Amino acid sequence: MSGDFTEIGRALPRKEDRRLVSGRGRYLDDLAFPGALHVSFVRSPHAHARILDIDSAEAAEMPGVVGIFTGRDLDQMTTRLRLAPPIEGLQPTELTTLPIDKVRFHGDPVVCVVATDRYLAEDAAECVSVEYDQLPAVTSITEAFAPDAALVDDSLTSNMVSHQSLCVGDPAARRAEAHRVVEARFSLHRHTHVPLETRGCVADWDDGRAHLNMHIGNQVPHPLRSQLAARLGLSESQVTVMSPDVGGAFGQKIALYREELTVAALSRHLRRPVRWREDRMENLMSAAHAREYECRTRASVSETGRILGLELEIDEDFGGYCFYPANYMARVIALIMTGPYRIQDYAYEVRVALTNKCGAGPMRAPMAITSWVMEGTIDAIARDLGLDPVEVRRINALGPEDLPYKMPTGELLEDVSPRETLEIAVDVIDVAAFRARQAQARAEGRYLGLGLCTVIESTTYGSEFYKSAGIPGSGHESAWVRIEPSGAVNASVGLMGTGQGYESPLSQAVAEGLGVRSEDVTVHMGNTDIAPYGMGSRGGRGATAGGGTLYLCALKARERVLAIAASMLDLNDAGGLRMRAGQIERMIGDDWQGTGLALVDIARRAYLDPLALPEGIAPGLDFSHSYDPPAMTYSNSTHACEVEVDPQTGAITIDRYLVAEDSGTVLNPIVVRGQQQGAIAMGLSGALLEQVIYDGTGQNLSATLADYLVASPNELPKFEILHHNTPNRRTPAGIKGMAEGGVMGAIGVLANAVSDALAPRGVTIERLPLTPQSIRALLREAAPSSTKRTQP
Amino acid sequence: MTAPTHDPLTLSLSVNGETHDVRVPARKLLSDVLRDDLGLTGTHVGCEHGVCGACTVLIDGRPARACLTFAAQMEGHEVTTVEATGRPDALSALQQALHEEHGLQCGFCTPGIVVTFEHYLRENPDPTAEEVRDVLSGNLCRCTGYQNIVAAVLKAAARMRGEAA
Repeated sequence: MSGDFTEIGRALPRKEDRRLVSGRGRYLDDLAFPGALHVSFVRSPHAHARILDIDSAEAAEMPGVVGIFTGRDLDQMTTRLRLAPPIEGLQPTELTTLPIDKVRFHGDPVVCVVATDRYLAEDAAECVSVEYDQLPAVTSITEAFAPDAALVDDSLTSNMVSHQSLCVGDPAARRAEAHRVVEARFSLHRHTHVPLETRGCVADWDDGRAHLNMHIGNQVPHPLRSQLAARLGLSESQVTVMSPDVGGAFGQKIALYREELTVAALSRHLRRPVRWREDRMENLMSAAHAREYECRTRASVSETGRILGLELEIDEDFGGYCFYPANYMARVIALIMTGPYRIQDYAYEVRVALTNKCGAGPMRAPMAITSWVMEGTIDAIARDLGLDPVEVRRINALGPEDLPYKMPTGELLEDVSPRETLEIAVDVIDVAAFRARQAQARAEGRYLGLGLCTVIESTTYGSEFYKSAGIPGSGHESAWVRIEPSGAVNASVGLMGTGQGYESPLSQAVAEGLGVRSEDVTVHMGNTDIAPYGMGSRGGRGATAGGGTLYLCALKARERVLAIAASMLDLNDAGGLRMRAGQIERMIGDDWQGTGLALVDIARRAYLDPLALPEGIAPGLDFSHSYDPPAMTYSNSTHACEVEVDPQTGAITIDRYLVAEDSGTVLNPIVVRGQQQGAIAMGLSGALLEQVIYDGTGQNLSATLADYLVASPNELPKFEILHHNTPNRRTPAGIKGMAEGGVMGAIGVLANAVSDALAPRGVTIERLPLTPQSIRALLREAAPSSTKRTQP
Repeated sequence: MTAPTHDPLTLSLSVNGETHDVRVPARKLLSDVLRDDLGLTGTHVGCEHGVCGACTVLIDGRPARACLTFAAQMEGHEVTTVEATGRPDALSALQQALHEEHGLQCGFCTPGIVVTFEHYLRENPDPTAEEVRDVLSGNLCRCTGYQNIVAAVLKAAARMRGEAA
């Protein structure tokens, strides 16, 4: 199938680059709005406290100050966010636009100061005085679930905001009959997204038209518009969301945040444009955090390492507020945990805790911990039974003969190749040669390790997925394709890129379907008045949902174009016609030959001489299409990496990193490679360095980029990427989607490699990140006598 | 607490070879003056504490953080921003190589990287990959994993030396 494509699969450099590389991109702060007011938020210095009094009298008199607004004020201008989807075990939550009675984390926005300039707004914010009554802070899952814990959300009965479980088959019976029961633990730390461009928005209320123009870098412009309209009591016709160039998002720019709603409400209230750009400290403390999980597995295994049953417990620290249903991320982890392996007896229990920390949200690969947990469990089985970890993978891995495979949770895997990518990775990294080097190094007192991690990546979530999850919503996407009177091709879809580089690959999907060159297609995204209502960019859905819909829509357009061409050529039908690079060709004998007709001629006929169109064909060339992908599409990969750990300093060096990937049909290999590299980098950066740190009182200690460390080129290896792409038979053009699996694999493979390296010291990695300090602590704990200095 | 002085200063700034007279408060950052007062929005503000490197400009030909510099300090100095390096339809060798090698994704960090390496490659025309990584460590990129940026810098260096690449 893929061999027939002429535009899909071309290695086209990105259309966005010329403007971005020359400093001519237009990001939010580059847009000028004369007379715009600026806001600054007064934020809570406490993790948990009652708000007793707010005194803004002094600030209100300061130069440039236009207004100062509290939670009570905003409650008059906006409705509250109530999250109460009909999901068993999920407590309904409700929150105001700004807190009124109490704050729930260090950095919670309490007061909004509006002034003529950002400097003056910050001056005034410093002079607003808020009186608090501090409450005990809940700063861990254990504390949250303690019987006497303070309530983070006073309206709930406990801090366990969500609790679900599932049992399929008979894991208890498998445990009883197992040769061994192997237990393993995995603790992933709190991360945050760190887009280089922080959050921000410009709300421009048009008082004459009673219309809100909201300029905001956002992944999901239409759902955001729905939220904005609902929370402001406006109709969706009264709100336009416009997303300019966006400096990264990674899941952080999906929800309508309280600050953004505040800015929109104040623009309407003050009848002036109002703008906000959060600073880096606000971004690190208060935007959204992610990934804080404690997982435990119990695998019942045979003598050969075959997994007979698997039991999983997940606890998540969700922070102080629910901007998403609290089971949103953890549910997917539990759903796809068994991933690349043949397991049918499976049970999970998922508990989500509210704590006095920043609210959690999806971050590129919200299910990132999955692969570490599953692959770490495999390694634990190999260690326990004294087996080769490669063999334990082989004996359990899904092969072609197992497909399609229904996971115990009901998820269906088709057209995936986990055993094939495993074999490619094992072969190319040459495990046997590595083991010889490792033995030699160990004899010299050096610690080398090899990790493996196979990933099943859920990419595109169709409507059927949402229905079975109990979440009202759709997984469909819509598109339009228009051929203009000049033959120019415009198209649009409801996605919004935040740096991925959608313009080229989506042009390629249109160009393939229609029969033109990708260079001649322009795809318009990010304006809710121009783009059709779509579900936006999240997960790995851009290629399948967005690209797939555009491709199908362009096929529709091609059919019409060829029908018109047939009539212009006095043919009975378009059967022997095709369009390539905008030229109509006709099959004569065994050859495609030019007809002298081009798309521009068809367009001229459709717009300027419509009476000459064949009967039944309407004037113009305007097409739209909607497409709902399968319940779920999956990509897969196997990561392999070699590390060396310096026991003296705790430093980890990544000597080699490779990944064998199955991403299905690739729209643009340049963009896909970039996404693979970027995802791996984000995973490694998180596993090695990044960490949101709260102290025992709930103070955030990681609010600068000198404290929250993001990998530089010196920590990251060169990535070798091997391709084993198998198209999905159920999606347009065989597209699967990708871009998150790299994070999943990187976390797991690094942890497994370091465990392998430190095996002689009795160290197993159960907790990330792997900072030098944490490695040194593990070595001290494992062998206190050999490394601890004698105290004087 | 006394209110800070807001009285604007009149400054004469030399930016990209042109002289601009601006009236700005003494505390206004160079990054903000370039963006707000001179409309040079290619200089991006990513952290305002000198770590991320997105705001890198040249001051008298040497890379510096515009977010850690007051505009008022710049009288008598020459400031160069990304806008002086190529245009969308006439990219520099480095910009062209970044495009070809997919050395950028969201592009927010890119102007700082362009400015840093336009300078670096003039003084170091034949760097190794390791040297490029060392210099690049002053600019955070959250999207690419850096590999393609390193490749682009090496490619641009080769072209600037007149070698086929």
